[in-house]
Amino acid sequence: MIGRVLITLLSHYKRHPAQLLMLLVGLWVASALWSSVQAINATAKESYARANALFSAETDQLDRRDGNPLTIDDYLTLRRAGLPVSPLLEASFTHNGTRFTVLGIDPFTLPSSGAGGETLNDFITPPWQTQLAPDTLPAFGLSREEATGATPTVGGQTLPPLTLRNDLPPDTLIMDIAAASNLFGEQATLSLVTAPAALDQPPDGYRITRAANLASPEQLTDSFHLNLTALALLSLVVGLFIVQAALGLAMEQRLATLRTLRALGVPATTLTLAILMELLVFGVLGASLGLISGLWLAGKLLPDVASTISSLYRTDVQQSLSLPWHYWLGSVAITLGGLLLAGSGTLWRAARLNVLALGQSFAWRSGYQRQLTRMLKAGGLAALLTLGLALWLSRLPAGSGLVVSFSLVAALLLTCALCLPPLLYGVLHTLQKVFRRFALMQWAVADMQLQLPRLSLAMVALLIALATNLGVSSMVGGFRLTFLEWLDQRLSAPLYINAVPSTLAPLNEWLLTQESVLETLPTARGSTDLLATPSSTNTELTSQGTVTLFGVSASPLLTANWPLLDTHGDAASAWQALGGDSVFINEQMAIARALIPGDIVTLDTRQGADNFKVAAIYPDYGNPQQQILLTVEALTQRFDGELASIGVALNENADERQFRQTLMNEFNLSSEALVNQQEVKQIATQIFERTFSITRALNGLTLGVAALALLATLLAQAHQRQRQLAALWALGVPRATLVKLPLIQLGGLALLTALIALPLGIAITWLLVAVINVAAFGWRLPLQLFPLDIVTMLLTAIGVALLAAALPCVQLWRTSPRALLNEGDT
Amino acid sequence: MLALQHISKTFSTPQGDIHVLNQVDLTLQQGSSVALMGESGSGKSTLLHLAAGLDTPDQGSVTINGQTLSGLNETARSALRRQQLGLIFQQFHLVPSLNVADNLRLQARLAGRENPEWSRHLLERLGLAGRESNYPEQLSGGQQQRLAIGRALAVRPALLLADEPTGNLDEQTADIVLNLLLALVKETQCALLMVTHSARVAAPLDRTYRLHLGQLQEMSA
Repeated sequence: MIGRVLITLLSHYKRHPAQLLMLLVGLWVASALWSSVQAINATAKESYARANALFSAETDQLDRRDGNPLTIDDYLTLRRAGLPVSPLLEASFTHNGTRFTVLGIDPFTLPSSGAGGETLNDFITPPWQTQLAPDTLPAFGLSREEATGATPTVGGQTLPPLTLRNDLPPDTLIMDIAAASNLFGEQATLSLVTAPAALDQPPDGYRITRAANLASPEQLTDSFHLNLTALALLSLVVGLFIVQAALGLAMEQRLATLRTLRALGVPATTLTLAILMELLVFGVLGASLGLISGLWLAGKLLPDVASTISSLYRTDVQQSLSLPWHYWLGSVAITLGGLLLAGSGTLWRAARLNVLALGQSFAWRSGYQRQLTRMLKAGGLAALLTLGLALWLSRLPAGSGLVVSFSLVAALLLTCALCLPPLLYGVLHTLQKVFRRFALMQWAVADMQLQLPRLSLAMVALLIALATNLGVSSMVGGFRLTFLEWLDQRLSAPLYINAVPSTLAPLNEWLLTQESVLETLPTARGSTDLLATPSSTNTELTSQGTVTLFGVSASPLLTANWPLLDTHGDAASAWQALGGDSVFINEQMAIARALIPGDIVTLDTRQGADNFKVAAIYPDYGNPQQQILLTVEALTQRFDGELASIGVALNENADERQFRQTLMNEFNLSSEALVNQQEVKQIATQIFERTFSITRALNGLTLGVAALALLATLLAQAHQRQRQLAALWALGVPRATLVKLPLIQLGGLALLTALIALPLGIAITWLLVAVINVAAFGWRLPLQLFPLDIVTMLLTAIGVALLAAALPCVQLWRTSPRALLNEGDT
Repeated sequence: MLALQHISKTFSTPQGDIHVLNQVDLTLQQGSSVALMGESGSGKSTLLHLAAGLDTPDQGSVTINGQTLSGLNETARSALRRQQLGLIFQQFHLVPSLNVADNLRLQARLAGRENPEWSRHLLERLGLAGRESNYPEQLSGGQQQRLAIGRALAVRPALLLADEPTGNLDEQTADIVLNLLLALVKETQCALLMVTHSARVAAPLDRTYRLHLGQLQEMSA
């Protein structure tokens, strides 16, 4: 019997193929974007897991306290002192557009190198070995079969014979330290590592970073993937809106059939089961379609994501998809779960169907008003939840509560989504009264009220997509402006010289004697231990963590471009105080240590513990570390630190090219040591744009899904709409006007929705820049709104609506008059 | 008032052409009423649609108040329909989101010929006074059809075209609605062309025609 019931139910879609299309499109887009992002996340996680398994991720790391790079002498000194340290030589190169990391190891001293056993002799003796993961081979144009023993050439140098190791991360080459030194020489940097907890105390002159304190790639990239997941979840929700709209429409139109079936003796459970089976059939079909296109999309987006993660976090992600079994199961399960959630209302109605209501007409107005009241009540509850989350978040320590922040955004979106239909209904009700004297306008508004039960879900989808779009584009735009401002702040001089500290000191003196030099801006770097802050509970002065030190020259060229978030007194007096016992701290440190201007911090100086007043807090976008700003003199005299670079401003009439040449000749500098400010800005901006390419892509796709939701809804109800328009046509309204009417109606409703989305989008922007960014990265972005973005959003809303309304309008125009008014007789 | 001359209409279907109307002639004078009967699919509604300018004949001409429809474009035909015709449908075609008063005045407002006094009078005559703020779903089937009649008459049309106006109503309600319709037609002196299946409904009208195999045959009283 259930089979017959199922066939009867499915016959509805034979007569209404647009509804079936709408249902499948909803499932398809919901599943496609979700599967795509999950495929990217799963592939990245696999890469992180392999990187975590690499020996370098599980060892303690030694650095010089003075900030100078480690040399082979450091290694020899420590080994002679009997300390169990191992050298690690690291270099990188780009080949065929792929960036490779080369690790030169000493398998005798490195804890768990994985290079031992029978192959040890081959690994440590010429021609040595290059160990790499199989998925790195395509970058060398090699297949798995021809890989072992192959010796690819990179930049004119031949790599040692290749050996495959499955446990290595992508784009990473492991070789003996001697081979790496031969190939990369001085380009390689030396690290010293030791087994976890092998050293209780760092040796004199060195600092130790415990393996447990080193952030894993997974921790670093967590917020990036959370951001992607949030956008994908949004698309899933928007897609499910389409599904729910399609199911609701089909249910409404099949009510009479369902009642007839019940009257013919089909039990309620059989009917419910048949609908459930129907949902499952559609679910599996939609999920499969979504999965296939999601994988295709992921394949297209993955190279951009990999390059973003590589440039942002220095972590390699393979460029081909690698998916575990649970990914496939998870993707189908999420789509089916979402479908069942969207279809729960249909199942509930089928189970509670009143057989006696056979033939009862649908009381549109009272039924919908009851629904709106329920929505308003649920919206009130969601608003209370939003307030509760906001209150909870305000009580959490600054810089924490990432999940609560995202929940707050979700609750806010839910509140607005639930309140939108009652609000639109109210506005239309008022407009109907306003247009009382304009019959056509009054009809148009009244007709919109009539369409609202079906259109409201598509409008909710549009509201969410528009608000998120505005929120994300304002955040990215604001980030872009702030980033450029930050670049100006850090690169205030037109030319920068990077050289070893021993060269920079005499170079600075030489520069000051040159006529063509207007001003020099030396910078210095170092680090120290933070011993106390006002919130410290420990009375003894012990290290509360390492902070980095950044030394600058407080000249007007720099101070004019250096923004300050908060100062003790005015900005000028703060800069003046910087020379003495005052320091500036970055926002990250202010938030993490709960510091405000005027607080005193105790730092470990060469002369012992000393107090410094916090004179100002400055923005330091993108820096994961807590940093203290002070003058170059204060840094080099009182802390372990060295000159890092010198910025040079030349006189207006100076010949920059000639100056560069003289400088290179005088101090034997390579051309790479001289950095042009414009070039750096250009490269940095390019990296920035690439970083947000996936965010922009997902943002655009979400808006596309909302447009599809609107189109699908309009197509699904196009047949019913024709009858309403036909009556008006019969009353003497020309068909040309009838065709224009839906465009005006839809455009107007979309504009109304966009106007409501505007404050919501601004609220989301604020939550992104002032709450989520602080929780994820430790620093806040200023809230910036772009009128052009707002106008674009309003125009997009109207454009999306007009585009969606155009097809049904063309259909209407092409329908014959007879068909338009057909009441079933000729 | 209404003159249909040598009207022919053919529909193409996958099974072949169907000649629904073949050289049909029909004339209606002001104040007269005509019932059009016939089997399902005989072309009654098609003839009504042609008379309303909702469809165009393959051959022949439709003239309303001296204006030949074939000489008018879509906009002019719509204007004529708005100003001079009243249409009543079997399915009522009321706007569910407009209340009784607004539904009744809809066509008159579209035509720019709203007469509040006449509208009030119609509401009284139709028995809908006091129900102005109600919505169609709050009315019975008979009340909804009375409202549809009121909407068609609110513009004081010269010609009233009714397609099975009592087809959706029970016998008793149908009688009430029909009597009211005929009384109002007499009061407004408009011409009435009504499509019906029922000989009982057709009986009070001036003339009755039967449409059979594309031809009109006048039936004796």
